[in-house]
Amino acid sequence: MLDFDKLDKAIHEKGRLSIMTLLATRMGWSFQDLKAELNMSDGNLITHLRTLHKLGLVAVTKEIRDRPQTSYALTAKGRAAFQQYLRVLEQIVKAGRK
Amino acid sequence: MEERQRAEEHLRVIRTLMERATIYRAISAPTALIGGLIALGLTSAIWASERHWAQIAPEVMRHISTRGFAALWLGALAIVLALNAFFIWRKAQRDSRPFVSPSMKLALRSILPCLIFPAATTIWFFYDGYETDNELLLVRIWIGFYGLALIATQHFAPRSLVLLGWAFLITAAGMMVTSRQLEYYSTPLVPNLAMGITFGLYHLIYAACVWKSPVRVGSE
Repeated sequence: MLDFDKLDKAIHEKGRLSIMTLLATRMGWSFQDLKAELNMSDGNLITHLRTLHKLGLVAVTKEIRDRPQTSYALTAKGRAAFQQYLRVLEQIVKAGRK
Repeated sequence: MEERQRAEEHLRVIRTLMERATIYRAISAPTALIGGLIALGLTSAIWASERHWAQIAPEVMRHISTRGFAALWLGALAIVLALNAFFIWRKAQRDSRPFVSPSMKLALRSILPCLIFPAATTIWFFYDGYETDNELLLVRIWIGFYGLALIATQHFAPRSLVLLGWAFLITAAGMMVTSRQLEYYSTPLVPNLAMGITFGLYHLIYAACVWKSPVRVGSE
């Protein structure tokens, strides 16, 4: 019997899941790149990023090159949580096919 | 049941985003450099050979046969493809990734449909097309569809590769528009030159532009 409570509720939301997925593909996404890739509004994106950051899943780096730039990356905890989330998703799909 | 559908939907979202976010360079800078040099070398060799024979036996309009011309370029293609596979394999080994990665499969799925028509044209050329000295048509198809194949990777390829594709496509289109003028010159002069400029010079320019470009983490 599957325990759906194992699904991380913070990630199990389409917007946040999309952010976590992109951050899992490579290190250091800028806010603008995330926004362009996900087609989200600034407000929506920043709210999700703050939620993930508060939970310790996403690290925020601020640096000044030509202009101030904020980049986001998965923390070790975030990467582990994402992998665990994927495993649970796969179990759900497999269980449904039996 | 509802939870399973949601899980499947989420897995689809993950897969789509991961495919889109992965940068895959189907042609590495070393491949472009060596490929460009081979193409320029072959163009020069064909040109020199034709010139040599034009001086010795001017009554013979051309020395290299039509099928010989196409076979030489296919030989060069085979060498470059083998080198490209080697460079990709070496990089995969270095990065501890599988040679046939999901990104490579995605690239092949995008590129292969664009190569069916030029492959068919090449087969036709060896059977019938050579009889009418149709190298110019063959070369235009090769250049144009190669450009399309590169453009087909635009959702996951670096911008430089897509620009290279556009350069090929625009050149082929320009050659199509100016067909009448180009056919005025003796063959295989123009087809040979076109191959040298596109597969030779364009690849060298591309290699020079991307040689020192920073590699983004997560790119293959």
